Amino acid sequence: MVEINLSFLLRLLADGLLIGFIYALMAMGLTLIFSVLRVVSFAHGEHYMIGGFAAYYLLETFTGLHPLVAILLAGSVTFAIGAVFERIFLRPLAEEKVERPGEYAILVTFGLGFFLQYLTLALIGPHPKKAARYFDLPAFELGPIKATAATLKLGTIPLSATRLTAAVIAVVLMLIMLYLIHHTWLGRGLRAVSQDKQAAAVVGINPLRMSTLAFGMGTMLAGMSGAALVPAFAWVPAVGAPAAVKSYVIIVLGGMGSIPGAMLGGLIIGVVEALGTGLLPDPNRAFAYRDAYGMLIFALVLLLRPRGLFGRQE
Amino acid sequence: MHRKQLLALVAMAVFLMLLAACAQQAGTPQVVRETVVVTQEIEKVVTQVVEVTKEVERVVEVTPVAGRCAPTDPDEVDKILIGATGPLSAPGSVVGGLVMQWSLNIAVKHINEAGGVLGKPVDLIFYDTEGLPERGTAVAERLITQDCVVGIVGEYHSAVGLTMMEVAHKYRVPVVFAETWNDKITGSQYDEIFRIAPTSSMVAEADANYIQDLGAEFVVIVAENSDYGVPASEATKERLAQRGIDSEIFLAEIGTQDWSPIIARIQALDRTPDVVLTLVTGEASYNFEQQAAEAGLMPTEETVCIANQVAINSEEFWQNVPDGNYCVFRKVGLVPALANDVTRKFEAEYRQQFNRFPESYALEAYDSLLIMADAINRAGSLDPDAIIDALEETDMIGAQGRYYFPYGRKNPVPPDEPEWMWHQWPDPAVLFLQYFEKGQSADEAAVVWPEKYQTHGTFLIPYGTTP
Repeated sequence: MVEINLSFLLRLLADGLLIGFIYALMAMGLTLIFSVLRVVSFAHGEHYMIGGFAAYYLLETFTGLHPLVAILLAGSVTFAIGAVFERIFLRPLAEEKVERPGEYAILVTFGLGFFLQYLTLALIGPHPKKAARYFDLPAFELGPIKATAATLKLGTIPLSATRLTAAVIAVVLMLIMLYLIHHTWLGRGLRAVSQDKQAAAVVGINPLRMSTLAFGMGTMLAGMSGAALVPAFAWVPAVGAPAAVKSYVIIVLGGMGSIPGAMLGGLIIGVVEALGTGLLPDPNRAFAYRDAYGMLIFALVLLLRPRGLFGRQE
Repeated sequence: MHRKQLLALVAMAVFLMLLAACAQQAGTPQVVRETVVVTQEIEKVVTQVVEVTKEVERVVEVTPVAGRCAPTDPDEVDKILIGATGPLSAPGSVVGGLVMQWSLNIAVKHINEAGGVLGKPVDLIFYDTEGLPERGTAVAERLITQDCVVGIVGEYHSAVGLTMMEVAHKYRVPVVFAETWNDKITGSQYDEIFRIAPTSSMVAEADANYIQDLGAEFVVIVAENSDYGVPASEATKERLAQRGIDSEIFLAEIGTQDWSPIIARIQALDRTPDVVLTLVTGEASYNFEQQAAEAGLMPTEETVCIANQVAINSEEFWQNVPDGNYCVFRKVGLVPALANDVTRKFEAEYRQQFNRFPESYALEAYDSLLIMADAINRAGSLDPDAIIDALEETDMIGAQGRYYFPYGRKNPVPPDEPEWMWHQWPDPAVLFLQYFEKGQSADEAAVVWPEKYQTHGTFLIPYGTTP
């Protein structure tokens, strides 16, 4: 029998929040793409995967490279892939040259996803890779707080160093993104295009350039999420699929196109999954139903507030 | 006037003739035709129905091979086509599938170098099943009804094997499964189905025996929610209970990445497990083992870590589970010390590619094709019944040792033996090895069970010690 006490609940909460920050960062990229291009990218999981592999190989190849530099470079790689793809395949959509834009966007992003996944499989192979821990924690003991290289233990709550690092990176990146979006000319341009393309064009913002930038930034965020998590999970070409599915749920939950919605949605999904798995009485089923807990919240929000938590009224 | 009267008469005659003609076209003949046509059609339909009924009766008589396009006479073919399957895409175990495909290709090479089958070269058609049951059905149908294979070998996932065996049974095509453990596969007692992998029950028996030898009192079983994980965990739990050992099962979806909630739950149990047994395949097992190690669940002085058998890929294991020192892992199949000439021949080529002793699923894939080829040779025919008879009489040395199937059509499974012993190779070896140095290769790991193979004279090298 599981002993449910405050310590156990706090541990579930901490686990949920740590993974929730990563979900949020990934979903932030997806929602940024949607808000400007009105396209749901079905290749988002593959950009996350590419980001992880890029960081792994950069660190393997250039020993001594700082992990944060590797993460930034991995983000640049996925930004470039995203921007080039947008320029070639999504530009006709923005220029309204496509007859059935909805279907076109789904097919072309699906196609990119398949291409990237199977290209990676062909180039790298199926064997799982994992980067070494980015930062070893300094070993110390201070009352109930104890740290080893791999784990920080707050009382009875162990926090993995790799996951803690990834969550901190996610929070920092999200804060930088929020600053960019709300306090720079670039961010104002993106927001203007997301609200009204024609009006934005009238005041001198190039909507086409903003679309390329938004898609590139969205894929960059996915890539950096992957780069942050490659020391935490065994990395294979199909690693992006579960994370991408979570991102789709989160952006609908938070409101399509809403950046604060994506952040809150990520945290909600992370915490609900952790609590559901920890508290369902039948241990045989508790974890097997993990995805269902998030879906339950998702269904409730759609039922009570169909545009999501922070969605705009159309 | 006379001319005018004459013209008028001619015009009237023509008009009347036209009227008569029109009346004929629009009236009587139509009715007559319809009647005739309807009568004839009814007669024809009745005749055809009788003929179709006869055809159906004939089809029923030959149902087992309807749709199966492989010839039965070897003189009709230039090469012997054999089908093979394995997972080459997610969510299947891609690593396992690629290794199996590679091993099967080596088997083809070796068979053809030795003169082929019935004097003809063997050609292998390999399909990706992705670890998905529905893909298993689709590729088995395609192999049998379009590619015209005479037999099928390989496969890694039980869920796929369970659907493939139904198709093979329907078309009466012999199959030698290489690495599918679910009891029901040979438990179905289909004539066509043979297996050289251990069953989940056989492995569960070994797991329970080892855990009993460790002196454990409480075990946590972490299993994947699949046709492999669920029956395997239940079989282990049942056997542990028979030995007076308590256990609790935790199931997770295939491919799970984040295990933190389940680890939290295990650590919140009212008693610390003596053993945590991992029945999760592929990279998901690495994720669980590393996250459990980081959280301090296992391996520790109190809790023995039994990792999934993929831990035998030492390079991959240490990269993905850097904190997994002192984990025990199961090895199904031959130990290098027991290698025979066939093993060594295969191992030599395998090492060139992978630089390690072949895993059980590599040896099993290789052997599954050798067994099928041997049976076809002895049958002297491509007739499925003759091949099945020959498979039942198998007695040959493969890379894993001597193969034979003690129970089948001529010697049914006795009541005191489990049903899954039908067409089941009874001797797959199950050993437990343990890493005791970080970065150690699997060849250097200690054999801790069974006792007769122990390399360090102990069932467990205690956590934090050096033997």
